[in-house]
Amino acid sequence: MRKFTRRDFLKMGGLASAGVLVSQRLPALQMLQAVEDPLKSYPYRGWEDLYRKEWRWDKVVRTTHSVNCTGSCGWNVQVRDGIAIRSEQSADFPDPEYNPRGCQKGASYERYVYGPQRVKYPLQRVGERGEGKWKRISWEEAYDIIAEKFLEVAQKHGTDHVFLFSVIPAMSPLSAGAGYRFGSLTGCVVGSFYDWYSDLPPGEPMTWGYQTESCEAWDWANSRYIILWGANAVESRIPDAHFLTEARYLGAKIVTIFPDYNPTSLKADQYLPIREGTDAALGLAMAQHIIARGLYDRAYLQEQTDLPLLVRTDTRKFLRQADLEPGGRDDVFYYWDQKAGQAVAAGKQNLALGPADPALEGRFRVQTAGGEVEVQPVWALLAEKLNRECTPEIAAGITGIAASVIRQVAEEFATTKPAMIIEGAGTNHWYHNDLINRAQMLLPILTGNVGKNGGGFNHYVGQEALKVPSLNQWFWPEKTRWQNTTLWTYCHTFGRRTRGVEEGWMPLYPKEGDPKMMIVWRANYLNQAKGHEAVLANLWPKLELIVDFNYRLDTTALYADLVLPAASFFEKFDLSTTDLHEYIHSFNAAIDPLWESKPDFYIWKELIQVITRKARQKGMADFANLYERWAEMGETPEAVAQWALDNHPWTKGYTVEEIKKHPVRLKRGPNATAGDRSGEAGFTRNRGAFTPFKEHVEGKEHWPTLTGRQQLYLDHDVFLAEGEELPVYKPPLELEKHPLHYLTPHGRWSVHSTWRDLDWMLQLQRGGPILELNPQDAAARDIADNDEVILFNEHGETRLRAKLAPRVRPGTVIVYHGWERYLFDRDSGNWQAPVTIKVKPTQEVEYGHLKFRLNYWGPTGTNRDTRVDVRKA
Amino acid sequence: MSQRQLAMVIDINKCLGCQTCTIADKNMWLRGPGQEYMCWNSVETRPGDGYPRRWEKMGGGFDANGEVQLGDLPGVEDYGVPWEWDWEKLPHIFPRPQPSWGPNWQEDVGEGEYPNTWYFYLPRPCNHCNKPACLAACPRQAIYKREEDGIVLIDQERCRGYRYCVRACPYKKPYYNVQTNKAEKCIFCFPRVEKGVPPACVAQCAGRIRFFGFMDDTEGPVYKLVKKFKVAVPLHPEYGTEPNVYYVPPISTPRVGNNGEPQGQGRIPLAYLESLFGPSVRQVLDTLRQEIARARRGETSELIQTLVSNQRWRV
Ligand code: SF4
Ligand code: SF4
Repeated sequence: MRKFTRRDFLKMGGLASAGVLVSQRLPALQMLQAVEDPLKSYPYRGWEDLYRKEWRWDKVVRTTHSVNCTGSCGWNVQVRDGIAIRSEQSADFPDPEYNPRGCQKGASYERYVYGPQRVKYPLQRVGERGEGKWKRISWEEAYDIIAEKFLEVAQKHGTDHVFLFSVIPAMSPLSAGAGYRFGSLTGCVVGSFYDWYSDLPPGEPMTWGYQTESCEAWDWANSRYIILWGANAVESRIPDAHFLTEARYLGAKIVTIFPDYNPTSLKADQYLPIREGTDAALGLAMAQHIIARGLYDRAYLQEQTDLPLLVRTDTRKFLRQADLEPGGRDDVFYYWDQKAGQAVAAGKQNLALGPADPALEGRFRVQTAGGEVEVQPVWALLAEKLNRECTPEIAAGITGIAASVIRQVAEEFATTKPAMIIEGAGTNHWYHNDLINRAQMLLPILTGNVGKNGGGFNHYVGQEALKVPSLNQWFWPEKTRWQNTTLWTYCHTFGRRTRGVEEGWMPLYPKEGDPKMMIVWRANYLNQAKGHEAVLANLWPKLELIVDFNYRLDTTALYADLVLPAASFFEKFDLSTTDLHEYIHSFNAAIDPLWESKPDFYIWKELIQVITRKARQKGMADFANLYERWAEMGETPEAVAQWALDNHPWTKGYTVEEIKKHPVRLKRGPNATAGDRSGEAGFTRNRGAFTPFKEHVEGKEHWPTLTGRQQLYLDHDVFLAEGEELPVYKPPLELEKHPLHYLTPHGRWSVHSTWRDLDWMLQLQRGGPILELNPQDAAARDIADNDEVILFNEHGETRLRAKLAPRVRPGTVIVYHGWERYLFDRDSGNWQAPVTIKVKPTQEVEYGHLKFRLNYWGPTGTNRDTRVDVRKA
Repeated sequence: MSQRQLAMVIDINKCLGCQTCTIADKNMWLRGPGQEYMCWNSVETRPGDGYPRRWEKMGGGFDANGEVQLGDLPGVEDYGVPWEWDWEKLPHIFPRPQPSWGPNWQEDVGEGEYPNTWYFYLPRPCNHCNKPACLAACPRQAIYKREEDGIVLIDQERCRGYRYCVRACPYKKPYYNVQTNKAEKCIFCFPRVEKGVPPACVAQCAGRIRFFGFMDDTEGPVYKLVKKFKVAVPLHPEYGTEPNVYYVPPISTPRVGNNGEPQGQGRIPLAYLESLFGPSVRQVLDTLRQEIARARRGETSELIQTLVSNQRWRV
């Protein structure tokens, strides 16, 4: 196909004069058969087939995408003459409200399949890392290099010097798990992603003992009051955003809380222009008002939360059985039963209170082994603290939101049922994200909205919901060296250790020395690394071999030593699940893997076969049966998928064959059903939408926390020392002395780094990386629209083009997340250049329910709390 | 006049600005040589210059006497040159030529001072007008309106690329293809419609904002929204072409004080909406507000049920 050049364009001509009257037919007509009246009938319609021929195909194959967008949409790929010509949303979800699902990025995926970004052959670096000079090698050579290096590192240093990084198994678990299983069997270090990308809301494990649990998008339509808080759904949840606009039509009030007047705020009934990073103060002040006005759900709090539990005023720790009886337990807690007039152990069997009436207010005295002490319910501590520190008046000064507005929204939230908060990366990417989460969560908790349809705190950042539980057995056959990636990157980049590592609360591998080898697949570790410049300068040289499996040459691939061509989403089988809907569906191969590419599963399989063979030759007993162990549950992704479905009561009965054809609604939880989906479709009834925590709220099961309740008080020493035993507002960090806050939201035009470099997406933006700023801040720096500017602080400098947008809050600048490093200039860092890595001490403790667990508990890698300035280039 | 007329309703209140429609359209029809710059369906942030840039100032349409007017011919810069990237240049690649304008250049810019900035999205396919200015202006009579469904087509065999249609269309929806030397435009996906499948931009609209069907189908959503509930109005009715694409105008997020105090009135000036959709927009917005208020009170509203419906098309 000939390229369209600028010269061609110029032939189109410039402006012609306006307003010429055409009442007479012009001369060219003479050569033609006249048409009597083209408004009435037209005789020459045979040419129309030209277009009809465009819309045909030999076959249609249904598949999805694996990009951590949370979409998990269905796409029909039209194949003609063996070429995937286009894809259209499959719109085959059994609930029509979920149709269609799919965004503009997904719709352009074939441009990646056949695009210049595609990795076609195994590539070995010949120039410097990042220089982009490659040599094509054979698969045999590639496997040989990796296997030899792996065995060498294993022998010389141990496999804890090998770091494996792949993200979000839910988006394609067979591709992810093939490598995870290898890591588990060999003792390699497997890095986390959900915390490292700050998608994990630490407030949820802290308060609820869960990683993340959110309602399906349908449930938004059940709500009467929705606060979107840092969750820019219109841009970053395109397939589900219609549930919001529809909820609004159906009578929900929509409130948005963002520093910028963003696209989601266009759909709001009320927009709160909050000062960036002060969200916890707003949440706490709303809570204060709800408490002061008595608008909370007292019975719910008594039963479901730790608010009645007694805390010793001398030690600020919970009153425990160990305080009262010699040899007493550490995990038995007490409330003050107003009926009995004494402290009563909070039952561990069932949350139902029976006749007891636990006090929320007051101070009481109890006799401990060490004498009489004063105790207070958590509620009283919380209420006193809020009255002291976070009234609407105080918060107004912090947040820039008037006290009257804080009161009004608090009252409406408390009195309109059900009410929910939808939380997103905008608030979750701050250093004090745990405090922000806990302040936000307080509102649905106080008002009894958690565990109810249309209510709750629903967090959607990252497609973490792997809903086929037995896949975990396949991933992790052995005790695995799981690693929080924030700590791994931080410690190995800066040569430091944290308290959590020193105390042994958090693992750090290798125990001695530096990591030597890294394998990345289904991820773009380097581009998305906080501390990007330091990672490249300090950590990268430590790695003797960096391998990337990838279908496109992204930043990590560009800076790797070996790039293996992976199959695209149109060329393989896998599964997909998300938080946003309750279906499982599959990837299917619409075309054969192009060039020499192979599905990740098969790359791992063949690599493991080579490693096993070589280990046998070298007499390395540890890996002599590696392949056989790896293949125990199946040697194809389909076989493993079927094994996983068969081996869990929630998924038993589903077949891969069925899932390949159409989405299947999953059961969640032991007693849960797949939801009542009977009856006519439409928004007129609840239709059994999934919302989490009913087993606790309705079923009265204990919460998986230390106290067995929704736990707002955390009495670990680190929390007490930081003053964070209760949610509290702490201002954003000020590590860099610069005037502007650097905000890097998830945007419309990419899912992380994917699609950042796609021509059609760039055509609908400004062709390259841009920085958005308020015209006021631009004027102060003499910056005009589309000027080249330098964004800088002490960590790095980035060159981009300025876009002046009055929606941006003065004092902040926005660079949407994910620009690939190679889209910037030679002398520029990437979008993460000004961002360093910060580890928050409260996020690496070991305490009750908070124990290191991959992607579940560990420090988050946050981007915000970054101060920058901008100057004209 | 054609015997039947297909029409579309676009609910701006639900529009996400995601451009899935634009891409669906490009996937469907716009991958040939000479089409790189084209978006038959475009989505522009308003207020703003749109696509092509300042199209509303370019003239065209009919004058008071019903005479078709030839407006300006947009130049290459007005659409935006489709940039190219030379992947051989890795490790750093840049768009060429240097970007200075594009089809979505002013995305989310809008007007007004923070925190009372205002903007919204305006998706624009061809209007398949009852009185197509393009058709009236074509000296070769290569443009016609299909009897059976009112779709306006440019005959790709008969067209000789004179571009009178580009100049006459006040919406600037015909596009000139340098490679084929013909003008082309949105075809309302007639090959799909003939098979009972809605146009790509309708079927694939992620915001579920587009309704489609025959205007005389009194049970269809288009008839209901346009004729029965009267909440959908054409863009620039004063251009005189009688468009068959209708819009549910945007309800505005209320203005706020500097500290977020609600100030009642909407942030989008009514006069601005009137300048786009004509004087009836005030009545439309009142109706929408009333119906939403009813929904909030728990009453059922057939209008609301139509706007959130799963049955968005009948063809
Ligand atoms: S990228 Fe994600 S949201 Fe977009 S279509 Fe694909 S799965 Fe859906
Ligand atoms: S696909 Fe629908 S929601 Fe998205 S921009 Fe187009 S019209 Fe708007």
